Formats: sequence, structure tokens, C-alpha cells
Amino acid sequence: MSQQDPSTINGGSAVAMVGKDCVAIASDLRLGQQSMGVSNDFEKIFHYGHVFLGLTGLGTDVLTVSENFRMKTNLYKMAEQREIEPESFANLVSTSLYEKRFGPWFVGPIVAGLNSISSKPFVCGFDYIGCIDYAKDFIVAGTASEQLFGMCESLYEPNLEPDDLFETISQALLNAVDRDALSGWGAVVYVITKDKVVKRYLKTRQD
Amino acid sequence: MVGLSFDNYQRNQYLVNQAGFKAPKATSTGTTIVGCQFKGGVVIAADTRATTGPIVADKNCEKLHRIAPKIWCAGAGTAADTEMVTQLIQSNLELHSMYMNREPRVISAMQMLKQHLFKYQGYVGAYLIVAGVDPTGPHLFSIQAHGSTDIGYYMSLGSGSLAAIAVLERDWKEDLSREEAMKLCATAIQAGIFNDLGSGSNVDLCVMETGKDAQLYRNYLTPNVREQKQKNYRFARGTTAVLSKSVFDLVDVIKEEEIVVGTDAMDVDL
Amino acid sequence: MEVVLGIRAKDGVILATSKAFTRGISVLKATDDKTRILNDYNILGFTGEGGDTTQFADYIQANIQLSTMREGTELNSKAIASYVRYELAKSLRTRKPFQVNVMLAGLDKREEPFLSLIDYLGTRVDLPYAAHGYAAFYTMSLLDRHYTPDISVEDGLKLLDMCEKELVKRFPMEFKGLLVKVVDKKGIRVVKGNE
Repeated sequence: MSQQDPSTINGGSAVAMVGKDCVAIASDLRLGQQSMGVSNDFEKIFHYGHVFLGLTGLGTDVLTVSENFRMKTNLYKMAEQREIEPESFANLVSTSLYEKRFGPWFVGPIVAGLNSISSKPFVCGFDYIGCIDYAKDFIVAGTASEQLFGMCESLYEPNLEPDDLFETISQALLNAVDRDALSGWGAVVYVITKDKVVKRYLKTRQD
Repeated sequence: MVGLSFDNYQRNQYLVNQAGFKAPKATSTGTTIVGCQFKGGVVIAADTRATTGPIVADKNCEKLHRIAPKIWCAGAGTAADTEMVTQLIQSNLELHSMYMNREPRVISAMQMLKQHLFKYQGYVGAYLIVAGVDPTGPHLFSIQAHGSTDIGYYMSLGSGSLAAIAVLERDWKEDLSREEAMKLCATAIQAGIFNDLGSGSNVDLCVMETGKDAQLYRNYLTPNVREQKQKNYRFARGTTAVLSKSVFDLVDVIKEEEIVVGTDAMDVDL
Repeated sequence: MEVVLGIRAKDGVILATSKAFTRGISVLKATDDKTRILNDYNILGFTGEGGDTTQFADYIQANIQLSTMREGTELNSKAIASYVRYELAKSLRTRKPFQVNVMLAGLDKREEPFLSLIDYLGTRVDLPYAAHGYAAFYTMSLLDRHYTPDISVEDGLKLLDMCEKELVKRFPMEFKGLLVKVVDKKGIRVVKGNE
């Protein structure tokens, strides 16, 4: 086997954005083995109560880490008698990843959600050893992260209404993954507002 | 923290050596950080750019960390390491000061940091400038990832340290005033911002003066403000083709059974 | 270069494995069975490093059966897939991990046809049809073209025949034909390849 990077074997990308009293998080649906597409329904977005987590990177670690957080947030819920808030969950992700500083999980996580008390939108991203990147606008992750940076940097504007935020995040993701061979094959977008969450599957290119 | 878990270490050694995997890149703060003493206090400052390879990961990150209310620290190197090592020592120093019933000292913070970093033989990639005021006066130290430390009146660290030290070397003098020290540090950071690719965006600054609360100036200078967009790229609603849509709320709706009270009043003997 | 192929039909699941047992440049056996029966409604197909494969499959088989005896209830397909993935992900964190790729075919809760693809890293995907290794390159195009979610086992077997023909024609290695097993309401049965 030649030199391969664990974060580009299975491919996949995710992005999160802040809007006016809302947040959105989206990912593609592809899971591949190098150049070959294997699955077109591999969702990379998970939620724990009202907190949403996007996980890109090595497929096996995406599964393991997401299940680990399921366990940890359930234990948190039992201890605290309430759901975990986005800010606390971000710190949980950070410490959980840094715990494995010298034997890391090969994942690129992003977090999005609204604080249930203040309704304040929250998004942040991490490197694979848990360094938090707090952002007030958008966060990107995955094999199309460079393309996503470019799309978001130009398309994004603050204070978008949920419906406009949906269009912006969708177009950012769609056009970014079309320039990445390892991402695409379907996409899913969550728009999170105070009283409801809307999940949409997008029509995408299939090549 | 009980200790770092090496669970995955063998797996990743296998993945790198046997399966021919390549290790991924962590976010590093290709950074400019500086510190300088003045009469009755000390200033530290940092830029706000975080990078992964050639990509700017964060345009306005915080590299100034609080270890104690009057002891602050600027970090360069592996971003996660500077953050976590600083949080760990913050927590341990607080316990230490409660146990000793004394204000924490800068030298204690430095000693705890260097012992931790030395233990990890440089693999915890944190390069720090630690500064603060305590009952023994103002102090300024630098710490290298391998555990060595220096003491100085002025210093710089990170990829932009060469640009910054040139400014410090040129303008530093003994017994600077608070304002002069702040200006000197900010100028040194700007030298890094504009001349070093790994540094950029804004200047964060922290002043610690004896007998006063430490003051953090977040975004003390913002010499790289993004211009207002000339046009917007908003898409008309309905542009994106949607295959399916589902709505769910995350609020638990509890159906409450109505308990009817008062329709049939109980007969009560009067 | 072993073949493991699976198709999930509406009334059952098909699992096919190549019959050649190869060491280096020699075919040592032409009637190899690269599957293990886990319980009445679940089978496990596997490929990978010789030795690791059977060792791992036997281990899984034994533990599934042990669990059935201890708990007095059968594990359903999703639970088995979860368990197999966990074992592979765990093994990956040891000095010498199992180099085994598996495919789980069964009827989930004796009801719903189920097919899961799990590689040696512990990457699991539940799919309508799947193949491991190079065979995937030859067969996926046929499966993409002809598969429908409401396909019957009968038509699935015809589709599998097309795949086998393609493999015989273009696959560079002699794999001695396929051993084909079906899991449906009636249980597990061999439909081809044990002549």
C-alpha cells in the first residue's frame, strides 16, 4: 500500500453556519474506499439532545467517536438531569480528543446548536487533537474544507433568516463538494431554530 | 486529568508503519508572541492567526491564556497543546494557592509548566511566554517545549519572533512606562503580523501591574479589518433542489391529562 | 484476491463467496467456504489475511452462540453487525490487528433482510448490495444498473449470475466459482456451488 492519509481514505465534508437566531449544519453523504464510492447514505451529522455534531474523517473513527459521545452525553444527562448545552459539549469534545493526544482519533468535528437558555447561536470546530476554533460566522471540515473555506468566505453574510441561511449553506456545500472527488453523493442540511429543526436532503450530482 | 490515554498509539503506529498511513496535521499557531517588563508591571501580546499548513484556520483566535487572575500566558506552537497545558496548570495552580493560602506566584506557574513539558520530552509542543505580578513583583519568563526556561526584560517567541525581536531590540529601554510598554509590544506584534506568513490579523494584549487587576485588551489593534462586501451573494429562496424535508422539534411535548375539578362539588356537611 | 458479494432482496439476502483457497501462486482447494453460520438467520462472509480470517470468524461465531446460550435470546442482525464492528475496531488498536474484511447477511429480527459491509478498520455501512476488494470494481456497475429495492431473491440470483459471468470473463484470477447462500424466512440454505 502506498502512503495514504487516514483523513482522506473515506472522504466527506461538513459545514456549519450562524444565522439570525438560528444555526445550520450540513454534510455530504458519501463514504468511499479511496476512489471507489461505497455508500451514499453515510450521514456525518449526529445530535445529542439539541446539540448537533458533524464528524468528518476516517469512517471507523466517525462511528466510534459518535457512539462515545452518545454514551458521554447520556451519562451527562443522568448526572445533571438536563441535556448538555452546545458550549459544554464543545469542551467535552475538546477534552475527549486531547485525551488521545498521542494516539488520536482521525476526525474533524464541528459543533452547532442554540443554547437552550439564552437561545444564542453557537458553532465551533476542532482539529483532530481537540483545539477549539470558536467562530462567529461559519466552520468547515473534511476533505473539501479548502473549497468550503472559499465558498463560505464569499457567500456568507451575517444575520440571515433560516430560509436564506438554508440556501447559503446548501450552495456553499454543493459547490464545494463538486470540486472534491472524495465528497458528494448526496447531502443533508439541518436548519436549527428555537422551536424546531428542519432536516432536508438535497439533490446533488452523482459523479 | 488523570493522564493522557495512549490507547490508540499502537493502532496509529501500525497504521503509519504497516498500513502506510500518513499522520495528519494539527492546528499550529505559527505565531508572534512577545512580552516586556516596564516600571511596576509587565505586558504580553500576541497576534490572532491560527493555521493548518498553509490554510488560515482561524482569523481571530485567542492566544493569551489566563493561568491565574494576575498571571497570563501567551502560547505558540501546537494550538491544542498550548491550550490544554495552560488549562491544566491553571487548575493545578489554583489548587496549590488554596492549599498554601497564598496568592499564586509566577515562578510556581513556570516551574509546573516546565516540569510537565520536560516530562513529555518536547512532544507536547507548547512554547510559552509566562508573565504576571505576584507579591514578589512583576515577572516575565519564556518556556520551550522541551522544558527549558529563560528570564528576561523583553522576549518574543513563535515563527514571527525574529521580526518582533528586532523591534524590541531597537526600542526597549529600562523603566518604560505602562503606555510605552504597551505600544512597544503592539508594534513588535505588528512586525510579526505584516512580515511573517504564520502570523496575522489582530493584536491581543494583556497588562499586569502590581497592585492592580490584570487587564486584557482583546483586539487591542485591528489593522486588518475586512472591507464591507460591495454586493451580496444571497440566493433566491427555492434555488436549492430539495429531495425530501422533515421537521422535528427537540422540545418534549408532554401530554397532560386534564383533571376536572369543581364540576361536581363534594357534598360537605355544614 | 478473494470474492465476497452480497445482495439484499426484498424477501431475503444473498451472500456469495469464491471457492478458491489460495496460498501464494497455488490454488490449494477449490471447495472453500468463506462463510460462518452465526445463528438460524445470520451468516458472516469474510476475506483477508489467511489465518486471521478463520480465526476471527470462528471467534465471532463462538461468541454469538455463547451470547445466545447465556441470554436465552438470539442477537438480531444489527446487534451482530455492531458487535463485529466493535471487535474489529478494538483489534485495530492492538499490536497485530486482524486483517479481516467481513460481510454480514441475515434477516434482522427474523423479518427484515439485512446486509452490512465492515472492513478491517471497523468502517461499517449497511447497504442494499456490496462487494469486497477488486471484485467490487467489476460488479458494482452491474448491480447499480440492475438492482431495484423490490428485487426478489430469485431475480437477485439471476443478477448474481451476471456478476459471476463478468468476474469469470474479466477477473485476472481463477476463483473457482462462487458458493452462494441465501437467508430468508425459511432460514439459511446453499443454492449453488456445493456440487
